[in-house]
Amino acid sequence: MNKLIANEMMKLVARKRLLVIGAIVGILVILFTFAQYKEVQTQREKLGTDDWRDSLQQQIIDMQNRLGSSRISDDWREQIQVSVQQLQFYLDQDINPSEPGAVTFVRMFIENSTDLFIPLLIMIVASDLVSSEHTLGSVKLLLTRPVKRWRILLSKYMTLLLATSLIVTMTGLLSYVISGIVFGYHGWNAPIITGFVVDGGNVDTSSIRLISQWKFLLMDFGLVWFVAVVVGTLAFMLSVLIRSTAASMGVMLASLVSGAILNNMVSSWESAKYFFMVNLKLTNYLNGVAPPITGMTLLSSMSVLLIWWAAALVLSFFVFTRQDVY
Amino acid sequence: MLGKKSVRYITIIAATLSVLWLLSLGWAIQDYYAGATDHVVKKQDRSQKTVIKNHMFTVVALGDSLTRGTGDDSGKGYVGYVADDLNERFNGSIVVQNLGINGQVSSQLKKQVKQPNIQRQLAEADIILLTIGANDLFQQGRTLENFDLATIKTIEDAFVKNITTIFTDIRKANPDATIFFVGLYNPFIDVDETGVTSPTVRDWNRIAEEVSSTYPRIVFVPTYDIFQLSVNDYLFTDKFHPNQEGYRLMADRIAPLIKWEGESK
Amino acid sequence: MSATTLSVRNLTKTIKKHKIINGISFELKAGEVFGFLGPNGAGKTTTIRMIVGLIKPTSGTIEICGYDVKKNFTKAMANLGCIVENPELYPYLSGTDNLLHFARMLPAVDNKRIAEVVDMVKLTERIDDKVKTYSLGMRQRLGIAQALLNRPKVLILDEPTNGLDPAGIREMRVFIRELAENEGLSVLVSSHLLSEIQLLCDRVAIITKGNIITVDTVESLLSSQEQAIWHLEPYLKGREILEGLTEVTTLEDGYMATPYDFTQIPMWNAALVHAGVQVLQLNRKLPVLEDLFLQLTDTGGAHIE
Repeated sequence: MNKLIANEMMKLVARKRLLVIGAIVGILVILFTFAQYKEVQTQREKLGTDDWRDSLQQQIIDMQNRLGSSRISDDWREQIQVSVQQLQFYLDQDINPSEPGAVTFVRMFIENSTDLFIPLLIMIVASDLVSSEHTLGSVKLLLTRPVKRWRILLSKYMTLLLATSLIVTMTGLLSYVISGIVFGYHGWNAPIITGFVVDGGNVDTSSIRLISQWKFLLMDFGLVWFVAVVVGTLAFMLSVLIRSTAASMGVMLASLVSGAILNNMVSSWESAKYFFMVNLKLTNYLNGVAPPITGMTLLSSMSVLLIWWAAALVLSFFVFTRQDVY
Repeated sequence: MLGKKSVRYITIIAATLSVLWLLSLGWAIQDYYAGATDHVVKKQDRSQKTVIKNHMFTVVALGDSLTRGTGDDSGKGYVGYVADDLNERFNGSIVVQNLGINGQVSSQLKKQVKQPNIQRQLAEADIILLTIGANDLFQQGRTLENFDLATIKTIEDAFVKNITTIFTDIRKANPDATIFFVGLYNPFIDVDETGVTSPTVRDWNRIAEEVSSTYPRIVFVPTYDIFQLSVNDYLFTDKFHPNQEGYRLMADRIAPLIKWEGESK
Repeated sequence: MSATTLSVRNLTKTIKKHKIINGISFELKAGEVFGFLGPNGAGKTTTIRMIVGLIKPTSGTIEICGYDVKKNFTKAMANLGCIVENPELYPYLSGTDNLLHFARMLPAVDNKRIAEVVDMVKLTERIDDKVKTYSLGMRQRLGIAQALLNRPKVLILDEPTNGLDPAGIREMRVFIRELAENEGLSVLVSSHLLSEIQLLCDRVAIITKGNIITVDTVESLLSSQEQAIWHLEPYLKGREILEGLTEVTTLEDGYMATPYDFTQIPMWNAALVHAGVQVLQLNRKLPVLEDLFLQLTDTGGAHIE
């Protein structure tokens, strides 16, 4: 098995996919760093001070004013209410929710890329692992070795897991290194509040806890990695079923994008919570952001994702070990 | 050429990372559901004083939609126009903290002013602008529909209590800054056929001014007269908030009153 | 002959109620080169893919060195080397890495063996270059190197000379014969190039529409179709006499053909001479597979080069 994984890793490295992904991440991080920098600049100019409390206060006031408008939907109102209460809590505790520094940037970046950007990167590898062998024709050589088919597929899947870890880590590292140039490489010990319990439009702060940002970041990464693995497995399955890199990427992309859209409008369609796409923002639970559908919890989201993951894996192996190769 | 070793190193690194993230995942779930209760949030002393530039003049605006500037197409409101005027006259930078919230009533403002951060901001203020009471009195027009003197009396009493607390809290935070308390105008002056609203608003303003006069350095700025004669020229299409012109006139009242040490005449 | 290395019995494949392969049976012996001949779409490639385990047969058994491909896949495959259609190796890897890749999937193949097969296919100089820089012939050779890594007992080559220049084809032919004769491999070669099969193979199976029409040694297939070609003067009288004695096919330019039967030929000749017909020419003709193929299949030569 180790030898098979060594083979797959050799091919992965030789195709320079990871480098391409690294370049994509790098460019994006540079863009976001610049955008963030600009935003901080304009905030400072607008308020005339660089005290974070002033800008946080202004943020709260702005949200409260939006609440006053009669044109916003109930869900949106609830979400704003929750945010206001949380930000107010930070302000009352005199804790900056976005302590400037590379570590905070990494946290924000990773949290915002968990439902679209990172899955997209994983897809680049996952959609290709099996179907490229078909496109290339090398599958005929691969499957005529004295190795059982399920072992070959397993080695490919293990490689996908390894690649997922690498990509997630790379995203974190690159965003730390690049944003640090502008924001400074600090913020590891900045306090983060976790444990908000959201109930409708109210935030229960009774079980709130304070943890260091590095701990919070580690938990974020764990959840993001899990999401990446699930999405990667789904793309992997499509790659086995469809045997075409482009087609499987297309299907995957469509479902991810639809998930992003659904997230904003499914609140009244309760069974939508069984779609994997609306369950990708696991980090929101740590942050106490209201889930898109009431009743969704970290556990329910993870269960839904696990079921999709298991189904995808079973189907992949079932099909791959049985299909005729022409 | 592909180094066999580099592939092996990458594999080992990736495997280690996989284990790390798997553990983190487990920890995240464990922490989320069985969160340790040992470190409860405590008030932290993280008093980092803002570096205030030498030439800075801070305006803190509190209150309701009038402070917010609702109805002004440019979004500035009277606060914005006052700031514009100050910018022309003041040799330095003007900092405006607009804390107005649409629909805010005096009881809500009372709570807002008690917030530690608001207190901190008030402490840094050179002047404080304030509009409050319109939502208490008019209740989005309901007061006019069911006009009843007894009801108005209760509203008024509550308002006086709230505003007393508000002034006390502001003064506690900042004993020196001049407070410009903007009075009410009567947006219904043209549609009120019974003629009951105008006396009510005048009465309201009188009481508000009386309360203000018990505190030092509170300037009560009347606006009733501005809107008295041609109210429709100065109202926004909602027939409640001022329009751009209306806000300008309000600002023209306040701005000249603002003075500071060393201002050249 | 020696031991059976590959045996295929009653192999069928049905796809969507359509019988692609219709009960094929044949056997390969150690050290022989077996030809698989048929037009495109006859079922050659499907049969080969079933032998190498890429396609599951609907019914029938395939055994490689006594191991059933279905029940004992790994042991069967351990004795097999193959190139199915073109040798599709990884273009982004070097030749060495490609061989290393496949060596890792085989039991007990070390670097020494890799060097050995590289030497066998004469690729030593370019082996560290990326495969995408290789010519087609070099890729073909690398494909064979890859197929030989595990010292297989059975080597399956699907259209091995496809895309090679004449020199390459000759080289390949010599190489395959050497493998069979020196190393005792059984080689199954499929082709639609009849001349190739004729020069390369000991035995041939002719396949069309999912059926094997005939399996025989190349010699016996050809000799059963040997002909005598006659050139007679006067023509009409000569033909009349011959037709009285045997079956006659009329050819162009006043030639005619009869079956070649060396016991009868002198008598026919005597009969002609006796009747005053001059025998200007009498030739023995060994037919090529082409003619044979056209006779055996009713598809005609449409798909045959």
